[in-house]
Amino acid sequence: MFTEQRVRALLYYSSVLVFFLGLPFILSFALGYKFDRKTMKFTQTGLIYIKTQPSGAEIYLDDKLINDKTPAAVRELLPGSYHVRVELENYYPWSGEVQVGQRKAVLLEKIILFPLRPDIEQVNKDKFNIFMIEEDRGIIYYINYDDSGIYISDLKGSHFKKISSFIGISPQSLKWKFSPNKEKIVYFNKHKIGVTYSDGEKEKRYSDEPFVLDYPQGVILDIFWHSDNYHLIVVSDRNVEVLEAKPGSSFIELVKLNKRNTQATYNFHEDTLYFIDSQKLEDGSVYDNLYKIDLTAKALTLPELIKIKDNE
Amino acid sequence: MNKRSTFIRLLEILPGTISWSILIILIALAIFRPVACAVIIIIFEFFWIIRSLYLTTLLIMAYHKLAQQKNKDWLLSCQNSDIKKNWKDIYHLVIFPTYKEGLEILRPSLEALKNCNYPKDKLVVIMAFEERNKDALKNAYVLENEFKNDFFAYISTYHPDGLPGETRTKGANATWAAKHGKEFLGKKGIALEDVIVSCFDADTCVEKEYFGCLTYHFLTNPKPHQASYQPMPVYNNNIWHASSFARLVETSSSFCQLVESIRLEKFVTFSSHSMSFKTLVDIDYWPVDMISDDSVVYWKSYLYYEGDYRVVPMYITVSMDVAYSSNLFKTIMVQYKQKRRWAWGIENFPFLIKGFMKKNQIPLSNKIRRIYHLLESHISWAVWAIIIMVIAPLPILFGGELFKQSSLGYNFPHITNMLLNFTIGASFVWIALSWTILPPRPKDVHWSKSIIMVCEWVIVPVIILILGSTPALDAQTRLMLGKYMEFYATEKMRKK
Repeated sequence: MFTEQRVRALLYYSSVLVFFLGLPFILSFALGYKFDRKTMKFTQTGLIYIKTQPSGAEIYLDDKLINDKTPAAVRELLPGSYHVRVELENYYPWSGEVQVGQRKAVLLEKIILFPLRPDIEQVNKDKFNIFMIEEDRGIIYYINYDDSGIYISDLKGSHFKKISSFIGISPQSLKWKFSPNKEKIVYFNKHKIGVTYSDGEKEKRYSDEPFVLDYPQGVILDIFWHSDNYHLIVVSDRNVEVLEAKPGSSFIELVKLNKRNTQATYNFHEDTLYFIDSQKLEDGSVYDNLYKIDLTAKALTLPELIKIKDNE
Repeated sequence: MNKRSTFIRLLEILPGTISWSILIILIALAIFRPVACAVIIIIFEFFWIIRSLYLTTLLIMAYHKLAQQKNKDWLLSCQNSDIKKNWKDIYHLVIFPTYKEGLEILRPSLEALKNCNYPKDKLVVIMAFEERNKDALKNAYVLENEFKNDFFAYISTYHPDGLPGETRTKGANATWAAKHGKEFLGKKGIALEDVIVSCFDADTCVEKEYFGCLTYHFLTNPKPHQASYQPMPVYNNNIWHASSFARLVETSSSFCQLVESIRLEKFVTFSSHSMSFKTLVDIDYWPVDMISDDSVVYWKSYLYYEGDYRVVPMYITVSMDVAYSSNLFKTIMVQYKQKRRWAWGIENFPFLIKGFMKKNQIPLSNKIRRIYHLLESHISWAVWAIIIMVIAPLPILFGGELFKQSSLGYNFPHITNMLLNFTIGASFVWIALSWTILPPRPKDVHWSKSIIMVCEWVIVPVIILILGSTPALDAQTRLMLGKYMEFYATEKMRKK
């Protein structure tokens, strides 16, 4: 029992000793101090942490190779300016000047090393004019003006196939936009609006045929889908109008615009159109104001629209 | 409330206040002074690692002793000519306080007694039932028929509910049984000095050499009446059938007891243990209104003998049940309540201070040391896991970019990971040691269970998170708020 308790006492005091001897070193390491054996003093240092994409790059600090590869921390650096260079075979090197402060960590975490020869790969399998990518479903849409066809493939270009057609307009359309549910596409130029469907094989209602509408009353600047996937908001150089996305639909004017080259944005989460219009004051000066129109289903009733007009 | 009870209330409030203050201050520092908090956490974790390594070494020493004495013939040792008193004069009074335990739990405990190599005509067994248990009479009848002829005496006692001054605790039941035992021994003309009393949890199964070992330690002790005799509790009865979660928790409990057995100056009786019956009578038995009767009986004896009282470790195991239930959630709850009951041992703190104030003969240094050990062990129990698992990540979380861009902010997670990885090394030792006390695999258990029992150690961090500190903090908070606990009889399950 005596021997056992002596062993235990020895262990206990050894543990106490290890704790008190080890603690200054652990704390100085943690706080960024370096013990200088010559002066027998602790010096305040900093560190640089380097992380690259891809990893495994060699690190040069003031042109000296560090014996570590990324990701790595270069510790115990005296405060000052350092030139950091990162090199990886077949990649462009990265370099920069870094200021290291006392007890500070410089985190270089967003270094991307770009390849010397980037992999370029042809994706399309056939002729097309414009394309759109739907990231959520991983689909590329290809628009071919020659045969008025809409084609799709996956993001690698595989499974290429025709899915739908559209009615061509002349001159060719400026923009193509999907409805929020991705089932319909509106395309337009300055005076024509076309609507088609992203899935030609899907069974449709009588009104769901592709169609084209003329817009002689002005120059179309932009068109937005309403969140109901049925209404379109047309912003022209003269007004803001709304129409149903069906053949023979008529336009309802929401706002007359003073400004000819307005800028508009549509927030379809809140069904609100933001646009710029100019206002002429009594002294003859002209100011641009930012307006918004609430186009939620509730507000789209005719009295509400008239109210907006009345307020103008 | 009179002056004294106000003082006791203050003592009840103190441990919880200290624990909560430590946690709140650290959280506040993590939010407002993340650097200071990180430094404190690094110091604490380094301390904790050193402590873990130190305790693991003690555990190895305890295991070594256990292995050394495993196959010892203790009865033969009792016949040693150096022992003046004849071991055959020693009687053993064995008390099993029981409440809800069924026959499937009680019967194996009595069978284990029956299989001991100590002369059975020296064993007086009391199965101490609670009168409020409706199955008590039925169970007593069955067990009496089975075991009445196997010992010097087999007695069933029925502790009445609601006696004045009592609460529903195991100590009250054990005391009732011990008083019956005293009456019986008196009638038989057996001197109290020749009786060793063992108070066993109802599921305790002793080894065949247990009473030989106990008698040897009693007879070789220069002051046999001034000591408690503590066997090493293991939870082997149902360990192969228990869930991983419960098994690991109970294995850790065994480890704690083994470590404590080496730290003699802190060693306090726990769970099933033995002591001089004379001393038990002299100190007026177990407490009848406190939950932690196993440790309070030690402190009562310590105070009675003015500090000249100790716990003698016996490197022989007593096997108990792993507490588990039908599903994981219930098992966690069973374990949580059991650990909270153990942590309620903090009620010893005001009891001990009160006792020390009356005992001027105990040196002040001893008083301070014992109070410090008691308080420190309970406080660190209530905070360590919360600091390591919950508070340690907070400086990074609240420190913001400024903290992250400091040397400390960058090094802090690396250092804490590095330090905690040391415990992985220690855990391999724990796994190896846990195997050495494992009973043979029952035939109905598939061999793959052996592999599971090694792999299950990966869930230790989850156990630490759930059961590491929260039961102790819960117990201290209840004591702090004056919400006194009642004895919770741990649910026991055994494959029939």
